[in-house]
Amino acid sequence: MVTGVSAPGGFELPLWRAVAVFRVASLAYVCVVVLRDADRYAHPLLAGVLVLVMAAWTAVTAIGYATPARRGWPLLLADLGVVVAILLATPWVMGRAALDAGLPTMAVAWLSGPVLAWAVCGGRRRGALAAVVVGATDLATRGMATPTAINGAILMLLAGVVVGHVARLTVTAGERLQRAVEIEAANRERERLARDIHDSVLQVLALVQRRGERLDGEAGELARLAGEQEAALRMLISGTGPLSGDDVDAPVDLNALLGRYASGSVSLSAPATPVPLPPAVARELAAATGAALDNVARHGGGRAWVLVEDEGTAVTVSIRDEGAGFAPERLAEAAAQGRLGVTHAIQGRLADLGGTARISSTPGAGTEVELTVPRRGS
Amino acid sequence: MNGVRVMVVDDHPMWREGVARDLTEAGHEVVASCGEGRQAVRVIGAARPDLVVLDLQLPDISGVQVIRGLRAERPDVRVLMLSASGEQQGVLDAVKAGATGYLLKSAGLAEFLDAVRRTAAGEPVFTPGLAGLVLGEYRRLAAVREQAPDGTQDSAPRLTERETEVLRLVAKGMSYKQIAERLGLSHRTVQNHVQNTLGKLQLHNRVELTRYAIERGLDE
Repeated sequence: MVTGVSAPGGFELPLWRAVAVFRVASLAYVCVVVLRDADRYAHPLLAGVLVLVMAAWTAVTAIGYATPARRGWPLLLADLGVVVAILLATPWVMGRAALDAGLPTMAVAWLSGPVLAWAVCGGRRRGALAAVVVGATDLATRGMATPTAINGAILMLLAGVVVGHVARLTVTAGERLQRAVEIEAANRERERLARDIHDSVLQVLALVQRRGERLDGEAGELARLAGEQEAALRMLISGTGPLSGDDVDAPVDLNALLGRYASGSVSLSAPATPVPLPPAVARELAAATGAALDNVARHGGGRAWVLVEDEGTAVTVSIRDEGAGFAPERLAEAAAQGRLGVTHAIQGRLADLGGTARISSTPGAGTEVELTVPRRGS
Repeated sequence: MNGVRVMVVDDHPMWREGVARDLTEAGHEVVASCGEGRQAVRVIGAARPDLVVLDLQLPDISGVQVIRGLRAERPDVRVLMLSASGEQQGVLDAVKAGATGYLLKSAGLAEFLDAVRRTAAGEPVFTPGLAGLVLGEYRRLAAVREQAPDGTQDSAPRLTERETEVLRLVAKGMSYKQIAERLGLSHRTVQNHVQNTLGKLQLHNRVELTRYAIERGLDE
């Protein structure tokens, strides 16, 4: 997993700021409503105290939600609790008469604050849950369900759902964007390294190998070592495709997996275009190829050639060596005696993939292994 | 045998000198050496080489552009490309543009001199890796043909069964001699098959370029 550069939850920060702005703006509206209606309230002074409490809580939440570490359950529950408490105090502060006269409840739009906070924090479901709690409390305190009150509750519910949905989308989009940027940066860095290595190190190593070829003794040995490193480095910079994130089910390029087997003594021939296979299939096929190459190394070593062919409906990997080889009977003989050996293990792997492993050999003329895997659903 | 008139194009002075010395010692004549593609295209007319030993990665223009430029000035020139990184698509593009020889820079001196001699004589010099690339390219063209509406891609080249067989064996590291023995063919026939696989790709590439030019109205 590519880790983010910014702090976790950083993509939500603009949303939290928006919620804080909403709270301040709705608080201003609360002040207007209270100033206009205070003379009709039962306890105008207490109404002022309640407005101060709301202002204080607005400040607390603005500061609290700004820090990712504090955006947990304690603050969310306290937020909802404070609003519910204010709603419950409202009928007493305003008085029955004021409420029955159809005056708006004191909190007006401010009570949507926790609904938005829950939605930004936990998506649609939490947004809806908070909206139901606040809406139900609001209706209950009025003691009657006027059309305006029901409208308000339903609008709040919709706001909770929509804001929750948009918050999820924003966070996902932000994370995707960041991943894309990181992958691009990594790829660019890799390309730059490949260019530098190609322009300098590879050329010099190849030259050392070439000029030292006809020298004897230690100098010749050094040249040979330089050649090996040259081959290893060349595969390192050309054998792997670009990073493609870490989607576990995304097809994997078989060429890239086989690239690590190429060396001074193993030549890899493959198409210029990627050979995509499901990750499990590609890994198994690469492992079977590796096992076949190990077998070559164990039985006398020498050079080996790997050929990758993509026939559309199937992928074939052939491994050929020019080692001692063996008589065809010996394979059946070994299997009959219960000596399973490497070839059997390779055939088992391929059978598991629904493919085939064909092994042919002539004593003195080397061995050829041909691994074929069908492509499903292509 | 007579020496070959060779031009060496490589941006590494050390490498250029080393190659030139090896070629001279082996009895060839190095008629020019340059470090940039444009310069190579400029001097090829005067230098009149039979063979260009070309590093595919030059600082100014791409390998394909160099090969097109060289062959426009001197259509019969043979191109033996060298690459340090075995860069795949670039090598394939260069082959389609008309190069007939390919060698990794890490190849030994004997292998290099052999490749020079054979490329100059008109033989295709394939590494197993190049054969794998060419096979892959034919398969890609076949897939394109299958998906295209009827008839629109019929000009795309295809391999005969024999050519496929030969190319697969080259890709598995067998020499022309070994292939001839295994398939019961003459050395010359095997070589012709390999040559045809390249010839068809190069012809197709020229046809495509011409078609592109006509579509864009560049022929006027």
